[in-house]
Amino acid sequence: MQAPGSGDATLYLFGPGGASKRAVQHGAISLSADELRVAGRYTAILDGSSTSFFVTAAPLQKISFIAHPSRVPAAANGAVLGAAFLFDRYQNLVLAPTAVDFRLGVEGTAGEERKVTSQDGVAWVQFNSGRRGGPAQFTATSGNVQTRRVVQQVAADPCGIRMKASRASDGNILVETAPIQDCSGNAVPDGTIVTFTSVDAAGRSTVDARIKRGYAKAELPASTSATLSVAAGVVLGNEIRWGGGE
Amino acid sequence: MNRMASNRHLEEFRGKGLRIAALSLAVLLGGAWNPIIMHAAPPAPLQLFDAASAAPRPLEDATALAIQRDYAHAWRSLVSALDENRAGLLDENFTGSAHQQWQNAIHTQQQNGLSRHIIDHGHQVHVRFYSVDGSALEITDTADLEIQYREGSKVLTSERVQAHYLVLLTPAENSWKVRALQELPPG
Repeated sequence: MQAPGSGDATLYLFGPGGASKRAVQHGAISLSADELRVAGRYTAILDGSSTSFFVTAAPLQKISFIAHPSRVPAAANGAVLGAAFLFDRYQNLVLAPTAVDFRLGVEGTAGEERKVTSQDGVAWVQFNSGRRGGPAQFTATSGNVQTRRVVQQVAADPCGIRMKASRASDGNILVETAPIQDCSGNAVPDGTIVTFTSVDAAGRSTVDARIKRGYAKAELPASTSATLSVAAGVVLGNEIRWGGGE
Repeated sequence: MNRMASNRHLEEFRGKGLRIAALSLAVLLGGAWNPIIMHAAPPAPLQLFDAASAAPRPLEDATALAIQRDYAHAWRSLVSALDENRAGLLDENFTGSAHQQWQNAIHTQQQNGLSRHIIDHGHQVHVRFYSVDGSALEITDTADLEIQYREGSKVLTSERVQAHYLVLLTPAENSWKVRALQELPPG
């Protein structure tokens, strides 16, 4: 800063991260970088007159990255969102429009990639989740700065549940599914409830079974003629007419 | 439309609050109903709160009300803290780097016998970004401020500014806190 004149004076400096008062000599007055760490308006007062100036953010050094959700069904439209906040080394938002590369993908797949230019220090993106289940790496990169999150892609709802039925040794009806997968071929996680239902002249019988090692099986009460069905959540599988030697 | 909705809710909220307060007073007075003129708390310094361009998630009315309340309160706290050099006043409404930077400003003011007296003439707030998970909100605020820079009781200089702020807010347990409050160069 230039302060015309000569002799001693008192400089007051008010900023968003501090306020100082010090003796200076008229002429060229220098301010240290340490005094100007925080971006924003600074007001300098010398001999009763004042001037204001602005400090802007230093180059990008940190990306704060919000990824949502942390767990997502595979092949879901627009289900994964990421927002990157760009900061300099002093925690000032970097306001200059900055290109941020977002990438989402499970290892070994192409994944999705998009370049977004930040606005007001934030860049955000919305992706479809990938078709393959597993931990997807979700990265936001700008220059040499990268931040990574993991989004667990899990199987979506089961797709095309198929079951077969046979007579158990005790006369009951043994029902067992084929491997249960979503529409992208990902195995639906073990523990997912599958409901088997038998309807016959005596009424309705329902058995819930958990998927174990990719399959679900259960025993329904013996019947000479029944309609058997299978479902998981809102997804219905095939239906079997039991009886007459089937 | 969103702003109008927010204002309408604010009015309803205020109106409801007044009715409840008046009713309580009437009950305390033994059921006698006398017309009572009451004044609500001083209006928040927000002249405009526009959430119409919030993206990627639209701002719900209840959230908009909470943000207006908490952001206005944050400014009242900041103005008092800078005037009285009481950094503790920031604790309720500021967090992260915003808390740190203004705390430093107050400590250094105190060390040097300085202070800032701000007359807040109001804010025009536009919501720019609201994260899908509700964990971050970014607004721009044009604030009309009169700032007196003081040493002890002596006014060193004063200025009236139209200050443009970029503000990052994050939700805390039961309120929104200011995480970044960065003044932008004009233009």
